[in-house]
Amino acid sequence: MGAVVGVVANPASGRDIRRLVAQASVFPTAEKANMVRRLLSAFAATGVERAVLSTDLGGISAAVLRTLRTRRPGKEAPWPDVEFCDDVTLTGTADDTTEAVRRMRAEGAGLIVCLGGDGTARVAAAACGDVPLLALSTGTNNAFPRMREATVAGLAGGLVATGAVPPETGTRTASLLEVTAGGRTEVALVDVCVSTSRHVASRALWDPATLTALFCTFAEPDGIGLSSIAGQLCPSPRESQDGVALTFAPPHRARWVVHAPIAPGLVLPVGVRAWRPLRVGEHVALPAGGGVVAVDGERELELTGDTPVSVRLRADGPRCVDVPAVLAESARRGLLRTELTPCQRWRRREEAETA
Amino acid sequence: MTDTLSTGVTRELDENALLDAYRTMRTIRAFEERLHDEFATGEIPGFVHLYAGEEASATGVCTHLDDRDSIASTHRGHGHCIAKGVDVKAMMAEIYGRRTGSCHGKGGSMHIADLSKGMLGANGIVGGGPPLICGAALAAKQQRTGGVGVAFFGDGASNQGTTLEALNLASVWNLPAIFVAENNGYAEATASTWSVAADNIADRAAGFGMPGVIVDGFDFFAVYEAAGEAIERAREGGGPTLIEVKFTRYFGHFEGDQQTYRASEVANARENLDCLKRFRSRVTETGQVEAAKLDAVDAQVADLVDAAVDEAKAAPKPTAADLETDVYVSY
Repeated sequence: MGAVVGVVANPASGRDIRRLVAQASVFPTAEKANMVRRLLSAFAATGVERAVLSTDLGGISAAVLRTLRTRRPGKEAPWPDVEFCDDVTLTGTADDTTEAVRRMRAEGAGLIVCLGGDGTARVAAAACGDVPLLALSTGTNNAFPRMREATVAGLAGGLVATGAVPPETGTRTASLLEVTAGGRTEVALVDVCVSTSRHVASRALWDPATLTALFCTFAEPDGIGLSSIAGQLCPSPRESQDGVALTFAPPHRARWVVHAPIAPGLVLPVGVRAWRPLRVGEHVALPAGGGVVAVDGERELELTGDTPVSVRLRADGPRCVDVPAVLAESARRGLLRTELTPCQRWRRREEAETA
Repeated sequence: MTDTLSTGVTRELDENALLDAYRTMRTIRAFEERLHDEFATGEIPGFVHLYAGEEASATGVCTHLDDRDSIASTHRGHGHCIAKGVDVKAMMAEIYGRRTGSCHGKGGSMHIADLSKGMLGANGIVGGGPPLICGAALAAKQQRTGGVGVAFFGDGASNQGTTLEALNLASVWNLPAIFVAENNGYAEATASTWSVAADNIADRAAGFGMPGVIVDGFDFFAVYEAAGEAIERAREGGGPTLIEVKFTRYFGHFEGDQQTYRASEVANARENLDCLKRFRSRVTETGQVEAAKLDAVDAQVADLVDAAVDEAKAAPKPTAADLETDVYVSY
């Protein structure tokens, strides 16, 4: 059986309140569909035979289907065989991503590509198991998914899916945070943040005054979102299994005041009382005090006054495609190039002239 | 760099404010469910389009408004009227076509208006509200009242030229206007996923140079938070915002609609997403409001709606002589 890949694109990513309270970008559906098209061309170039695409009511799958029906064979680059998860009952919630990924795994996908922000990647990661994940940014806050050209990312993903580049070379296992409160457990790929906000409401967090504690799987100096606070104070590279833990304080009482890009266009002073490395496997129990817990920047769990919260850093997160590493290996081994002997060159020239 | 800048605004509602919001949502629900029953008796003239299921939108927005502010509504306007403070008994009398009604019984469900409350009217014209609100917002801006105009409209109206022109005008004139697109999935029987080419109504905001956001229309707190940010921005001269709230209407497009175009989403919404159930569980679990106080509101609202129906039925109808009153308005 030839290589199969799955592509799940979130129609709702890049639409939340951060377009109002910050200057987050709008990622149009047309561009998400274009990215899927570019991925398909790249997959075909690497020998992927079949692509399973998610469906949605936002217009992404409809646009790709339209292209599928109007493409001109021979004039446009080939695509793999395309199938849609069209028997999935859409709910307009994150469950659609979970269900699509489940179908793709059942179809034998050797790669899951997800288009969205941190929130979409989090949901896809929780569902993709051992299948390599390639998260591309089309959302608001993109600390985990990378901003990458989809053709290039698709080439790397295709080389992993076909086995041309082995997983030990082309993928990297990410850490993740597991947070439990009130009988519910959620995972986060980037950060878990406790806030004094009472309600999930519009989900995003953008008011530093409400933050009390932050846990990060990684913290990059050039990151965006809450992890950028740690990124400018106590960076922790993505390649390290360990993370960091911070506690906040009002800027006038804090030991450090970090000017961090906590949302697109929103660089705010954030007071940090203390920080320390967070080791893999370490459990941190937080005292009950109400508020909400946000995962990857979105409020998710509402706490009552007597709900304790526990956080644990795990090393067994998703296996992520390392695009530069895959393409460097490809270049080293010549996977995307062919060298012709003088005899082959002569034969090709003859064929071209005859044609 | 400054250490004092903070754009975040924490809007914690105290117990009384939470009870007020709950009372508004409960009043809308009880009002509409009662109308659903009463309409079946044949006593109510004309059409009624019920707002049940959508209460968090009107309430989450109007909780931020005061006497300086105006709203424009739709054919599905009862919820907006109640949330803006229009008298519930006068509304019921209007729907029954009685002289004691908000418009003396001459307008009915689709034309309830109360300018004293800044309620510019329910509106039988799809897409009729947004241009009106540009006028109200321009007046507020010129007179420096600090007021805002809020236009509620549906997914069908989002495709109307009037709405698109109003979005453009509001942006060009930097008006204190908020456009609330109430996307309940269907314009009458036409699915918005088919009829709205931009997929999300909020996406259209970018083309008019204003922020566009999507919020969960079943969640009072989500609407309240987004509307609060947008209204504060408008009051401070920041210009218009488009907010798309997504939810499901519990009843048909109009009373009598057979609803052959939609399947099981209503049962799921009532069971799992309902704004009143979610509000109640959240504020009681967090200890902000005792359940007994919410129960008391339920009882008071039920009494109010009973009385509104009884009084409406007993009230006189307009006479032939009333035809010649309220025809012209002097400025």
